[in-house]
Amino acid sequence: MRMNKPIFLLVFLIACVELFPQTFSISGKITDVNGKPIPGVNVIVRETKTGAASNADGYYIISDLKPAGYTIEFSAIGFKKFRRAGVKLTEDFILNVTLQETPIQTEQVVVTAAKHEQNISDLPVSAGIINSDLISKRNITNLEQALRYVPGINLTGDQISIRGSSGYSRGVGSRVLLAVDGIPFYTGDTGETIWEVIPVTEIERVEIIKGAASSLYGSTAIGGVINVLTRPIQDKPVTYVKSLGGFYSKPSYSEWDWSDRTRFFNALTLAHLNKTGDFGISASFTRLETEGYRQSGFNKKYIGFLKAIYDFSPASSLSLLVNTLNKRGGSFIYWKDSRNALVPPDENQGQRTATNRYLFGSIYKNLLSDQLLLNIKTSYYRTSWSENSETGIESTSHLVRGEIQTDWSISERFLFISGIEGIGSKVNSNIFGNPDALSAGAYTHGELKFDFPLLLSFGARVDYGKLDSLKGSGAFSPKVGLNYKLTEEFVFRSSFGSGFRAPSLAEAFTSTTFSGITVKPNPKLKSERNFTFEVGFNYKPLQELNFDLSVFQNEYYDFIEASIDPTDGLVVFDNVTRARVQGLEYQNTFYLFDASLILNSGYTYLWSRDIERNKALKYRPRHLFYGSIDYNLNKLISLGEEFIIGSDFRFWSRVEEIDDELAQFVKDAHLRVPVYVLDLRASYSFPVFNFPVRFSFAANNVLNYNYIELIGNLAPVRNFSLSIEFYLQ
Amino acid sequence: MKTKKIFFRTNLQLLVVFTLAAFLYNGCDKGIAPEPEIPKEEQAGFSGKITFLGQWPDGVQRTHLVVFENPLLSAADFNVFNLKFVGPEIPYGTTEFNYNSVDSFYVEIGAGEYAYVAVAQSKAEELSLNRVDWYVVGVYYANNDTTQPGKLVIPEKTLVKGIDIICDYENPPPQPPGGE
Repeated sequence: MRMNKPIFLLVFLIACVELFPQTFSISGKITDVNGKPIPGVNVIVRETKTGAASNADGYYIISDLKPAGYTIEFSAIGFKKFRRAGVKLTEDFILNVTLQETPIQTEQVVVTAAKHEQNISDLPVSAGIINSDLISKRNITNLEQALRYVPGINLTGDQISIRGSSGYSRGVGSRVLLAVDGIPFYTGDTGETIWEVIPVTEIERVEIIKGAASSLYGSTAIGGVINVLTRPIQDKPVTYVKSLGGFYSKPSYSEWDWSDRTRFFNALTLAHLNKTGDFGISASFTRLETEGYRQSGFNKKYIGFLKAIYDFSPASSLSLLVNTLNKRGGSFIYWKDSRNALVPPDENQGQRTATNRYLFGSIYKNLLSDQLLLNIKTSYYRTSWSENSETGIESTSHLVRGEIQTDWSISERFLFISGIEGIGSKVNSNIFGNPDALSAGAYTHGELKFDFPLLLSFGARVDYGKLDSLKGSGAFSPKVGLNYKLTEEFVFRSSFGSGFRAPSLAEAFTSTTFSGITVKPNPKLKSERNFTFEVGFNYKPLQELNFDLSVFQNEYYDFIEASIDPTDGLVVFDNVTRARVQGLEYQNTFYLFDASLILNSGYTYLWSRDIERNKALKYRPRHLFYGSIDYNLNKLISLGEEFIIGSDFRFWSRVEEIDDELAQFVKDAHLRVPVYVLDLRASYSFPVFNFPVRFSFAANNVLNYNYIELIGNLAPVRNFSLSIEFYLQ
Repeated sequence: MKTKKIFFRTNLQLLVVFTLAAFLYNGCDKGIAPEPEIPKEEQAGFSGKITFLGQWPDGVQRTHLVVFENPLLSAADFNVFNLKFVGPEIPYGTTEFNYNSVDSFYVEIGAGEYAYVAVAQSKAEELSLNRVDWYVVGVYYANNDTTQPGKLVIPEKTLVKGIDIICDYENPPPQPPGGE
């Protein structure tokens, strides 16, 4: 049969329209009130969740949009958010925008709470944000240092506790999940978080979710989540150099002055970002060296970072992430005694550690349709460390992960997220043995928006895991939350959920002796669980004023802790405790004198109890207070320059309970005091041949207050540092 | 507007007061300080002589004088909380070893009453608290009463002398529970 030619052409054209529907773009230029282009502005089409960032000249373009009505949102740190609703797209649309500057920190986005971007004010749980600017101005070289300034967080050595979730177990089995760009980052053997791997110069923002997040993240997130977002790649090439140098003061007492000279530290970072066509790359290399304020506290670290992104289309991209750490240094476990607080015991003299860690990750994103986003994440984390202690510790672990997630915007009111995840790990160690572990999980999360305006979120996750010869076990972690905007200024939130943490291979299979303490494996170890409840509100009576108050309660079951086995007297990790943590948290921010002066403060009250022993949980302070002042002196200097002085103060009350087992071997272990730390800082930014340059000065622990976080470990004495940063673009 | 100004001023004043208070507080208190060194003659401890009779067994890696606060009635009593003193390593093949707990130790002893004082040997290289690693070769007996371990009483600021132990390889003492 032959078809008539005009009819064939008509059919062909209709088919073309159906198969290749016409699409349009939205583009424009974003400037400030002085007409100066603003780079790095996030432009989001709210209905499709597609977006772009403005380039160095302030231009942006979002392509492949179907004809429809859209709401476009523009946001950038330091500028008021701008939203343009009712953009009818029937042809290519040009939308030029002028953003107004605001020194007041406005609404920001977080990604961690529900594995998708949402405003912080829409969260049903408490959250905290650390911006890269503050990390840089405080001359911080390790993320762990920055976390000490977040309300509700305290650290014991390098072990983090969010609202009393953790005590101290020498890093083994973290109850807080660290993720980098959404990729979980914990070791395959000890399940611990290694903060020093992350190059702080690559951090764009750190988001902290307080409270169990196992309903989305599974094990380890029983106490909260810390998601590190690395900085985005700009269209224009940027080379960044940061050099830092500093020294420690002499200790307060002559007995502690073990070294006859000043102890120095330094750091150097070289970074380069560039984007050519659809391919973008960000690479950095950091070298850190410290002589240490304690004998055997010296080390050298080399951190490598690489992020590469390829955009297959405006809707799909693949990111590759590589993060490495090489570290060699001394080992300081605890002091000789209080008269030799900066010197290790004689038998520990000369101990050395060597560490190599490598993370490889990939993130594939594909917007399959206007409503459906596919997200695939894979990672491989290899760690190896050795210590020439009496036991000659050596351990190598391999951890592989894979996760597939879909975000389905069923309607403007209903978002549905679901995903599956698989994790495998293998360890070769002379103290943990050669065990392996496998686990898998599946999760769903829904968010329903009402007009009232109420945001209801709900979800659940099921997990099943098997640790080598241990019996396999499952966990079900549901969560429900609500967020109610009573007025634009008053937001009420509440959440209830459950979390769990599977034991790490180290907790289940450690067999070693150190400093006289013998640890044996526990083949009967099972997961610990918790139920968490929070209610709170955020109130902004004025643009210059922000209050946040929350009350929380966490009930822990089968808490895993090191304890003495009554049958043989050996130390073993066991499900020994039923615990309860109750508390309240208050935070506020004041912007004064046109936001030249910014005051922040936060107070957390923690009532943490070991219910079975009727004692406080170990290493949990009852009171935590943080305060900071930032004063912007820009009015006193020329245009284009920035001069800010600031101060941070933190107080943690004296911990009531410590490790009795360890205290037997640490002389003067009873010495512990409340923590009072005052830091001062100043930073000055100015252009040199149009290249931004910044000097930052920091004086930490300026009053040289002597305190410990972990018994037998005096915290850093007063130290001073100066850094200089160049941006060549 | 006036209320707002008063509100800010009040809070600012409070903050300044708080900061000054923090300065003052810290100015007075330096936190942890070195514990005063106790003169040797005022330190509580014990001393004596350990005598080894017979041939040392092969494979012994460690020999230590140890003190437990409570009697070793079960393997579980051989634990870190009950162990109150670990003396320095006694060299292999020694026939006589004079010791003073104040001079040298792994775990320091203080004043108090102690139920079990013994010399123990281990074939493990590491200093472990695993009961099966240890074999008791000598026990302190008070007043020549070898029917039960002698009690060690250390008063405050006193060095108790004459805590002598004989380790006879041909005639070993009764072993506490939990050994091999």
